[in-house]
Amino acid sequence: MRKTLPVLAIAVLLAAAGCAGSEAGANGPIVVGSVNALSGAATFPEASQAAKAVFDAANAAGGVGGRKIEYKAIDDKGDPAAAAAAAREVVGGDQAVALVGSSSLIECEINEKYYEQQKILSMPGVGVDPACFSSPNIAPVNVGPFHDMTLTLLYGSEVLKQDDICALLEIAGNTLPAYQAAIAEWTKITGKKLKYVDSTVPYGGSDYTPYIVKARAAGCKAITVNPVEPDSIGQLKAAQAQGWTDVTWLLLTSVYSENYAKAISNAGAGVYVPAEFYPFTDAAAPANKDWRELMAKNGIPLTSFSQGGYLAAKYFLAVLRGMKGDITRETVSKALREMQPISDPMVGTPYVFGPAQAHHDNTAGWPIKLATGAGKWELVAQDWLRIPQQ
Amino acid sequence: MLQGALAGLAAGGLYAVLAVCLTLMSRLVRVVNFAQSATGMFGCYVAVFLAVHLGVPSWLATLAGILLGGALSAVLGWIVATWLAEADTGTRSATTVAVLLLLISLAFILFGNKPQPFHPLLAGPAFTIGGVVVSQVTVLTVALAVLVALACRAVLARTALGVRLRALSERPTTAELLGIPARPLSVGVWTATGVIATLAVSIVAPSQSNDPTSLAMLVVPAAAAALLGGFRRLDLAVLGGLVLGMAQGAVAQSDRLSVLRYFLPFLVIVALLLWTQRKEVWDAAR
Repeated sequence: MRKTLPVLAIAVLLAAAGCAGSEAGANGPIVVGSVNALSGAATFPEASQAAKAVFDAANAAGGVGGRKIEYKAIDDKGDPAAAAAAAREVVGGDQAVALVGSSSLIECEINEKYYEQQKILSMPGVGVDPACFSSPNIAPVNVGPFHDMTLTLLYGSEVLKQDDICALLEIAGNTLPAYQAAIAEWTKITGKKLKYVDSTVPYGGSDYTPYIVKARAAGCKAITVNPVEPDSIGQLKAAQAQGWTDVTWLLLTSVYSENYAKAISNAGAGVYVPAEFYPFTDAAAPANKDWRELMAKNGIPLTSFSQGGYLAAKYFLAVLRGMKGDITRETVSKALREMQPISDPMVGTPYVFGPAQAHHDNTAGWPIKLATGAGKWELVAQDWLRIPQQ
Repeated sequence: MLQGALAGLAAGGLYAVLAVCLTLMSRLVRVVNFAQSATGMFGCYVAVFLAVHLGVPSWLATLAGILLGGALSAVLGWIVATWLAEADTGTRSATTVAVLLLLISLAFILFGNKPQPFHPLLAGPAFTIGGVVVSQVTVLTVALAVLVALACRAVLARTALGVRLRALSERPTTAELLGIPARPLSVGVWTATGVIATLAVSIVAPSQSNDPTSLAMLVVPAAAAALLGGFRRLDLAVLGGLVLGMAQGAVAQSDRLSVLRYFLPFLVIVALLLWTQRKEVWDAAR
């Protein structure tokens, strides 16, 4: 059933799309797609909303070479079959030239082979699953949870001088090897080892007290986790209920939100996160000024996700505008493969798609902290924290 | 292991409270109420909404949430008592599954799927035994479970109201002919369990993961606990809840066993069903 569904979906879509692709002549719209978690258990619609805002602004200013950009954000419902169908709808049906600003939990893994087969490139705003960072046709804009884990460990051991760090990993699907590699990279750089790794921590667990008790009994002074927001809140509250107030939390950008800061009354010795983009909570920062204004104008929430979507669209526009001649899937792919690196103050690493077999090049985060009782995130560094090039 | 077991007590207390509610419902109004914890969840969410977005004081918002949980349960009870009065337990229970799904969806639609800033009613440790901290929440939920069970037992065994309720559950038609007001009494039971469940969820929600699904699905371990008492005995329901919570806490301490943790309620349900049905012959059990 799983296998036939996408096939059926394509058949129906192709029939429905009919000649949708044929009008894309020299003056028709340039179709750009994205596959996103718009509904389902965890949703982040902001990335594609932000990308759309960038393209809308570009269209209002006359488009690219007189052609408008038609942006299609399709929902993957957090479901593999729907993710496959979404990609086929926008790539096969709508004849998109590229995918820009996607953000999904599963999409890369499901569709990487299809993108290779269709010779289309994808620039996710927020790549989450390991396949986003190991495929020749996908190059996310963000750091990703794996480099982020290396960064948060680096900050914990080198800046905060924590020796007894433990990892509680929430593993969904096949992410464990990628996290293990991230931890191994930290070990290679620092020569330090984690006190222990517990990779049995469940997603969406109700009560995390037993795991917290276990970590405390093992003598952990700092804990690194790769949580989704609700889980992290549960873990911090479990520690608070146990009276464990001197534990340091080394978390990832997944918990960096205003909502989270408000929900946490006791953050132990502090929650530290290497933000994947320049921290959006710093309202006065010139780095985020344009992004912030655009988001405010369109009523899009200020989150890391909307930063990712915004940047993906911005990079893509820059590449499009630099192109000479026809804009087709083939020429766009070629332009992305041959593009010069683009720097932006919102990220610590210049972006380049390039010809590589895997794209995991964004290696800088900006350290931020949530202190107990603060209720808001603060910057704790003057510059990007980078993974040293080995 | 012991540390883990004590750590699981908070969850155990909550399971026990919900199991007592489930047992009461099953005994007195012939319903396995799958929406038991969902009504609690919804009441909590409304309370958080009132506190955060309308600036209502925390205690008042919580109280409003608890009353709302009771009211929701009462409405559901009224519907079941009115239109499904003569239906069998299976049909009446199936209605509550629909309500469970409705409430989860409604919570997502109204409050979104981002975590809510729950303000804890109480937080922090109560006391320490042998190096393990027992949190205030644990003490309160366990006490609540025991108290509710004892109070219900006293009411059922020693008051005129209890006698009427029992008559109603044993022989509904006869009781009605004797002039016992069936509908108000059963709606009363629904309301009471709604209030108790919302109170328990309100105590626990701030100290654990509190998205609508995980709170609403607490009914699964609670049902496993209630099954130990066969949905008839309150004392066994309390014991079942506490033991299940402690077992889950204990298993989480071992890397090899911790996978089992979230399957435990289901394993318990299967084991208990197999055990209770062991003497049934095929035709009779069907």
